[in-house]
Amino acid sequence: MQTYLLRRLLQSVPTLLGAILFVFLLFNWVGGDPAYVLAGKFSSPEQVEAIRRQLGVDQPLYVQLWIFVRQMLTGDFGLSWATNEPVANILATRLGPSLTVLLPMLVISTVIALAAAMLAARLRGSLTDRMVMVSCTAGQSISILVYIIVLQYLLGYRLEWFPVQGWGNSLGQNLLVYSLLPVLVGVLVSLAPDIRLYRSFFLEEVRQDYVRTARAKGLGEARIMVVHVLRNAGIPVITHVLIQLPALLTGAFLIERFFSIPGIGREVILAVERSDFPVIKAVTVYIAMATIAVNIITDLVYRALDPRVRLE
Amino acid sequence: MRRKQAIMAPEGNRAPMHRSKSWFSQVLSLIPAMLVPWLAMIMMGPGMTGLGVQQAHAAAPEKARMPGEVRKVLRITFQAAETGFDPARISDYYSGMVIEAIFEPLLTYDYLARPARLVPNTAESMPEVGEGGRTWTFRLRRGIHFTPDPAFKGRPRELQARDYAYAIRRFMDPANRSPYAFLFEGRIAGLDELAAQAAKSGRFDYDAPVAGLETPDSHTLRIRLREPDLGFAYIMAHSLTGGIAREVVEAYGAEVGAHPVGTGAFMLGQYTRSSRIVLTANPGYRSERWNFSAGTDPQALALDEKIVSVMRGRKVPAIDAVEISIMEETQSRWLAFVSGDTDLEYQLWEVAPRFMNGDGTLKAEFAQRGIRLHRSVDPEIVYLHFNTGSTLGEGGAANPLGGFTPARIALRRAIALAWRIDDQIAIIRKGQAVKASYPIPPGVAGHIPDYRGILRHDPRTANALLDRHGYARGRDGYRRQPDGSPLVVRFSSMPSERDRQFDELMKRSLDAIGIRVDIHKDHFAELIKQQKQCRLMMRMSSWIADYPDGDNFMQLLYGPNTGQSNSACYRSPEYDALYERSRRLPDGSERDRLYRDMTRLMEVHTAWRITDSRYRNVLTQPHVVGYKTHPVMPAVWKYLDIDAAAASNRRDVR
Repeated sequence: MQTYLLRRLLQSVPTLLGAILFVFLLFNWVGGDPAYVLAGKFSSPEQVEAIRRQLGVDQPLYVQLWIFVRQMLTGDFGLSWATNEPVANILATRLGPSLTVLLPMLVISTVIALAAAMLAARLRGSLTDRMVMVSCTAGQSISILVYIIVLQYLLGYRLEWFPVQGWGNSLGQNLLVYSLLPVLVGVLVSLAPDIRLYRSFFLEEVRQDYVRTARAKGLGEARIMVVHVLRNAGIPVITHVLIQLPALLTGAFLIERFFSIPGIGREVILAVERSDFPVIKAVTVYIAMATIAVNIITDLVYRALDPRVRLE
Repeated sequence: MRRKQAIMAPEGNRAPMHRSKSWFSQVLSLIPAMLVPWLAMIMMGPGMTGLGVQQAHAAAPEKARMPGEVRKVLRITFQAAETGFDPARISDYYSGMVIEAIFEPLLTYDYLARPARLVPNTAESMPEVGEGGRTWTFRLRRGIHFTPDPAFKGRPRELQARDYAYAIRRFMDPANRSPYAFLFEGRIAGLDELAAQAAKSGRFDYDAPVAGLETPDSHTLRIRLREPDLGFAYIMAHSLTGGIAREVVEAYGAEVGAHPVGTGAFMLGQYTRSSRIVLTANPGYRSERWNFSAGTDPQALALDEKIVSVMRGRKVPAIDAVEISIMEETQSRWLAFVSGDTDLEYQLWEVAPRFMNGDGTLKAEFAQRGIRLHRSVDPEIVYLHFNTGSTLGEGGAANPLGGFTPARIALRRAIALAWRIDDQIAIIRKGQAVKASYPIPPGVAGHIPDYRGILRHDPRTANALLDRHGYARGRDGYRRQPDGSPLVVRFSSMPSERDRQFDELMKRSLDAIGIRVDIHKDHFAELIKQQKQCRLMMRMSSWIADYPDGDNFMQLLYGPNTGQSNSACYRSPEYDALYERSRRLPDGSERDRLYRDMTRLMEVHTAWRITDSRYRNVLTQPHVVGYKTHPVMPAVWKYLDIDAAAASNRRDVR
């Protein structure tokens, strides 16, 4: 196990460096020169040059890349070019609101999708199964924008069940008042693909011999599905859920923008719009790290769940 | 693939795992583990939620309220996030609005007078102007204090002349990379030299004397300009030129943008970056009463008189707080307004047809609710600029649109005449703009309302002009250059939905005169870079007034400003000479005449095709009292009041 972990950690170094190099080249290739934006609408070439010097973008690319690597190693990405706010502070303060929405969204949609998928798989070929599948196909083909606009208008404005948008200072208020509609939207959007995916996991399992054996032993269908099938189908489900975890760090920018949630997704979009490279760099590095960490954790979870799995 | 390599599963079909009792409990244990940080945050409450909420330091106590007295809070939205509140460092509109509420320049504008009229603010009177506009002496009112802050170590801090001198110096400090340094660049004697020295040494010496920036006593600021400039008073009324206490800047360093400390009617209360800004009334604000007179604009007279009758004599500011929410999406802002969650909405351009009739009036259903629409034309111009340089950038490829030969001028003019301005306003602007033909927009000193431009939509004349100058059509129907080589003009725009509409309009306009257009897409930073290097051929640009004086617009075509604000890279010695003469004149008929001549010259050379100025549609709820849109002073919150009785049906009345 230790050898495996060590090897995976060593493997993560080139992965991380690859991610850094990719983002660095991408930004320098298509990101544009931020000095021209920061200099304002009335700036001389000398002022632009002075700003480039200040930001360090006048340095040769290899020097800039080294600065990036050093920032990653120290965890200090400096100040935002656009707002002068420490990048660490941006990430620390925007992550909370994003998680307030995304964690409940993930948990609720996973639970509902599991239940619906199990039901559909149990009743495979029935009218219920077909209706679930048709609904999922329809649900998947509708843009998230439509969900947001329609639900915000209908449930927020017309029926006044939820606030149209907003964010407060207390987590309780945010969770119990302002997050409800965004979470509902997010759950509805993710249900369709999740149900289809999980249903396929369950269907794979219900065809297995052990299910036939369980039936032959006289076990009830509910017990077979919940106790036996769910256990086995749970492994790919957990993989799917864990893989979604790094995405929590990027937030859900459309939901955050429409519901005025000061989350990380909105901040990332702002950073891209403003060519705010320090923020983009930090977010990329942290997501890459989180993805690597989650992949390792997923492997460990596999091992914990299925003793037949060997980590070599 | 990587996981497949790492995890070795046993061969064959997977067997059931009936015997494994522990795995299910491990799965279950994962869920709380995932929720731990989240639950912990709930338990720990708002202080530990990482919401980034900042409370103003040492905020003065709120004013005492009588029992039953309603706290008057004006709730508004910004459609883009602020970048900070350091006047020397920001350039965005919304940060500027907050700064306008917190800091105070020496001069300001009369709230109701149109065109905008300068009045003293923290100055006790209008400045004394000497040497034909070369020296400016401002005398400050006494007894104005900064809002309390730990940087003042518990002592009241009076606003002094040195705070304005310091604020001006900060614009020129290269470390601040101030986007608004142009307000003072090349103007104040000795200041540019100090900035040049700082650029070399890497340190701006704030204590070094500057010949043109003197404070003979604590309440007198004397500014000596390099050249006489009769419009300098407008600079000192700019919202970013408010007095700043040096000790605050030094105390907060790079974070000063999150700790604005001024003398204005409001101070920063609660602040969650990019989300929520709460400004609270400055309890130590000088005793000031609302005392404006109706302006002279006959169209606004009735509104002015109504505002005066309601507001005169009220305390300034009359409201207790301004709550600003950042809402980027129009649908969210619109629903928040119609559901009564906000009191004043600045720009709902995309959904204007939902609340506005075709003639620009408010729809009856909203008027009946007492909602008011305040419609005005922004002090801006939108224009299509042509690169008049003969090459694209220094030593670059030949520019088919550039130069001043009759053929090149004819080509530019033909494009300008082909531009489908009516479609632009009807389709792209959805009727929310007015045609413009003069470089100085309404509401700005120097605007000539009856000016008739020569560049109107006229494709027939455009075609005739091209025929006459040898731009013959080829077999494909597109024209070629007079020497027979292919003619392709390039139009640059951003990859946005709105710009795609401009691309299509450009294509349709130029197809009508047989000119092939190549659409060049790039993002904003790159377009600005290429524009400043004179490497673009054509692009739509806009300019909104920094101050309501025509000079702010006419400088856009001044030759020496090429590479800065002169996006057409227009170099006409005749225009430059007229512009230099205009700078020595006060606002008036003589200067207007020069501006008219300069405009005509620009049209003859066709450096720009001026297209439109956009409407600003401000909606206010019935309980918002005293609102009138000001052309250059958007944060007029201190002149407003909330009618507590009318506001009682608000969802959140406190």
